[in-house]
Amino acid sequence: MKILNLIFVFFISLSAFSQSNGAFETAVKSQIQAMGQIDNPESAQEVSNSFLRISEVESGEWLPLYYAALTKIETAFRFDVDKDAYFDEAIELVQKAREISPNNSELTALHGYALMGKVSVDPVSRGQNLSPQVMQLYGTAINQDRANPRAVVLMAQMELGMAEFFGQGPEKACGMARMADELFRKESQKVDENYLLPTWGANTAKALIENCQQ
Amino acid sequence: MNLRLILFCYLFLLQSLAFGQTVLSGRILDEKGLPLPGVNILLKGSFDGTTSDLEGEFEFSTEKGGMQVLVFRLMGYKTLEIPVAVEEESVQIGDQELIESITDMSGVTISAGAMEASDEKKSVVLRPLDIVTTPSAVGDIVGALQTLPGTSAVGNDGRLFVRGGDASEVGIYIDGLRVANAYGTTAGNVPTRTRFNPNLFKGTFFSTGGYSAEYGQALSSALALNTKDLFIRDQGDLSLMSVGGGYSHTLANEEQSITLTGNYFDLSPYQGLVKQDFDFERAPFGWDLEVAAQKKLGKDGLLKVLGRTESGGMKIRQPEPVQEAAAPLIDLRNQYSYAQSNWSKISPKGWTWFLGASISANSDEIGFDSIQTTRDNKLAHLKASTIRDFSDRVSMKLGVEHFINNYAEGLPLQGLERNFQDGQTFLYTEWDWYLSKKIVVRGGLRGGLSTLSKEKWLDPRVSFAYQVSKHGQVSLAAGKFSQAPLENYRVLYNDLRNTQADHLILNYFWTKDGITFRAEAFHKEYAELVRFEGVPMAPVNLRNEGNGFARGFDLFFRDRQTLKNTDYWVTYSFVDSKRSFEQFGTQVQPGFAPKHNLSVVVKHFVTSLKSQLGASLAVNDGYAYTNPNLPGEMNSKTPGFQNLSLSWSYLPRPNLIIHGAITNVLGRENIFGYDFSSTPNAQGIYESRAIGQPAPRFLFLGIFLTLSKDKDANQLNNL
Repeated sequence: MKILNLIFVFFISLSAFSQSNGAFETAVKSQIQAMGQIDNPESAQEVSNSFLRISEVESGEWLPLYYAALTKIETAFRFDVDKDAYFDEAIELVQKAREISPNNSELTALHGYALMGKVSVDPVSRGQNLSPQVMQLYGTAINQDRANPRAVVLMAQMELGMAEFFGQGPEKACGMARMADELFRKESQKVDENYLLPTWGANTAKALIENCQQ
Repeated sequence: MNLRLILFCYLFLLQSLAFGQTVLSGRILDEKGLPLPGVNILLKGSFDGTTSDLEGEFEFSTEKGGMQVLVFRLMGYKTLEIPVAVEEESVQIGDQELIESITDMSGVTISAGAMEASDEKKSVVLRPLDIVTTPSAVGDIVGALQTLPGTSAVGNDGRLFVRGGDASEVGIYIDGLRVANAYGTTAGNVPTRTRFNPNLFKGTFFSTGGYSAEYGQALSSALALNTKDLFIRDQGDLSLMSVGGGYSHTLANEEQSITLTGNYFDLSPYQGLVKQDFDFERAPFGWDLEVAAQKKLGKDGLLKVLGRTESGGMKIRQPEPVQEAAAPLIDLRNQYSYAQSNWSKISPKGWTWFLGASISANSDEIGFDSIQTTRDNKLAHLKASTIRDFSDRVSMKLGVEHFINNYAEGLPLQGLERNFQDGQTFLYTEWDWYLSKKIVVRGGLRGGLSTLSKEKWLDPRVSFAYQVSKHGQVSLAAGKFSQAPLENYRVLYNDLRNTQADHLILNYFWTKDGITFRAEAFHKEYAELVRFEGVPMAPVNLRNEGNGFARGFDLFFRDRQTLKNTDYWVTYSFVDSKRSFEQFGTQVQPGFAPKHNLSVVVKHFVTSLKSQLGASLAVNDGYAYTNPNLPGEMNSKTPGFQNLSLSWSYLPRPNLIIHGAITNVLGRENIFGYDFSSTPNAQGIYESRAIGQPAPRFLFLGIFLTLSKDKDANQLNNL
């Protein structure tokens, strides 16, 4: 009967596992890992679809929508796709996530990131209108959470682009990049293997700082 | 281990067996039967699912059993849900088809007659920024539109003339509400400008014919200006110009924003430096105050208020063909106010609501030497409309409007005045029907009645668009358009009926990656135009007896892709127009409708100079006029019009712009017609005097500074 007992326990735990939040965390974690393996638009679509499947079941969670949107944005930046459509879809997902979690600094920053992507598609005609909105979103994101390194590093990136355009010194952007780097360092101390919240962006800060030292 | 537990375990196992792993597989196709990759396929209520591969095939396993719902989702397609019985080890699902949903972005749009300036939409011809950076426009909205197909530049007027129609045939709307007297009052062949500053607007919709049933009281064209939504930050904008200056202050938060603006201009110092050919006794001057406020109401509601008041004038001596004594003095004073408020709401169930009201009040005092005249015009517009999307294929627009128009003109010294009041009510509806993503049919009806003329009318309109290739589309539009005659004619004879025009337009539109090509052919038939005897200043025997036509084609090519940092567009419009109207007894080519019209605009950004350089060229083959020394009407033509304008915008700092422009750089002496003496001289010849330009060139220099916490803001939109 022992084997039967074991099987019994196994099934109980399996079914419990698939019902509880543990499943949510495992699923999100495995997809965060899959994000790192993206090498073409198709694999990106698989990852964002997986996040969206998670969000359909876990309709009270903003994180799967966040990661689905982030995947869309990164796909648009990396691969030759209909960039506008990807950025628009990302913004739509962020809006949906905002209804679940209002005043979320990470979501505000991601919205700005997607809008920055839209500017990059046609900077000459969109820059004037959209750049201030992007800056404002980053500013709001920083106010919502002063410890959010992504809001700071994205703003630093934007500042650098504008300083270059107007032929001004990069001091302000560099200062922000160093601030972001410090925030990333603090964040990395909190991260363990169960950490699901966004952690990306540290490399951008490092690259910006490197650029500043040249 | 007791029996109960064993039994329980046994049953549980049984259940698990029944609910064991099932592999679901199948294929997903689009409407044409082609494989659809990237579709998100999931079992409702579980994490189980997958993404279809390049062949549209999918396969995944699930622990679930029994009746389940399989969901197929892909952006741009309608979600498909099908029930599936998950009972065996593998379930093969038959081929499934996803139907594309038609959205603003994916569906074909009707481009016949229409030109849009917007950052967002795809059928865009002009961007909002272009309006302020076109050199010949010098910041005037209508000046920029004059570089577009279907328009003619009439340099001594400045208003918008479309396809053989006069300037009154263009209906101007702000947020769907009519603006009366949208141009500054002028006299003595001094060209006018639009009263409204381009930085108020986020987008412009300009139609040269065949437009929506939403717009009436316009025979030739509708110009719809849409104001900006919420401003996002506090800022102050300071402008210093060679002709005046102004300050604008914006206060904003997430829920509401308000902008207050004041401007003053006076051309006296400028005219002191640059010699004028016109004899200005007092250079044009004026001030304006403006308030624009926006407030979010609820989740999808927005309330907007716009108010403006201004005052200005000028004194000019207008020489006569035969100079006997001092030229008569025209003394002009103008007061103008416009106010409107509108509320719009998009409800998630597919309804869009709009309520709005506007009032325009214009008052002119014009002295011709010792003769004093006054002219007062008030127009109120009330409008309620709704758009209902029944599905992504069928939508309906329904609206009701009421206008109250008061007009009075008088000779105050003599104590004489004549006036009228007209109430007009309109009901319109328009239906869009997408047969597929590539074919749309639009049908509309606009019915109206006037209390003054006691007339009722019904204008049907229809249009159609078909996407012929990936980047190209063909549209066709036809319709009937009605417009009440000019107020100064109606006041003389209240029974004047509507003037009418029928439009037929065929359009081809092609756009890809920053290159746009547009070709359009049109035929317009005029009827019931106002005719009279005498001269326009003193008409007699007014009647709806004139008729005529305008036909032709126009071409537009824009490329902002091929040459680095360079954007250019070329427009050619051909108009063959003849009509019997006003004092003309036969069908003649109107003086405002040159046959051949060419416009070229080039803009180039020089990064090293932090500057945008612009050039625009406008050419036409001359304006028709009547030479009384020759037989017939409109028997002569002026030399062709030419205007080459240059501009330089310099952005030394993100919040500072220095903008300079020169119009008619080559100093071409353009002539727009001739004034003839009313009686022949001793030799039996009517003497003439050319109607020219106030000065060969106009120079503009402006400095625009934006003050805000965000140092990167600037006023590029204010130029």
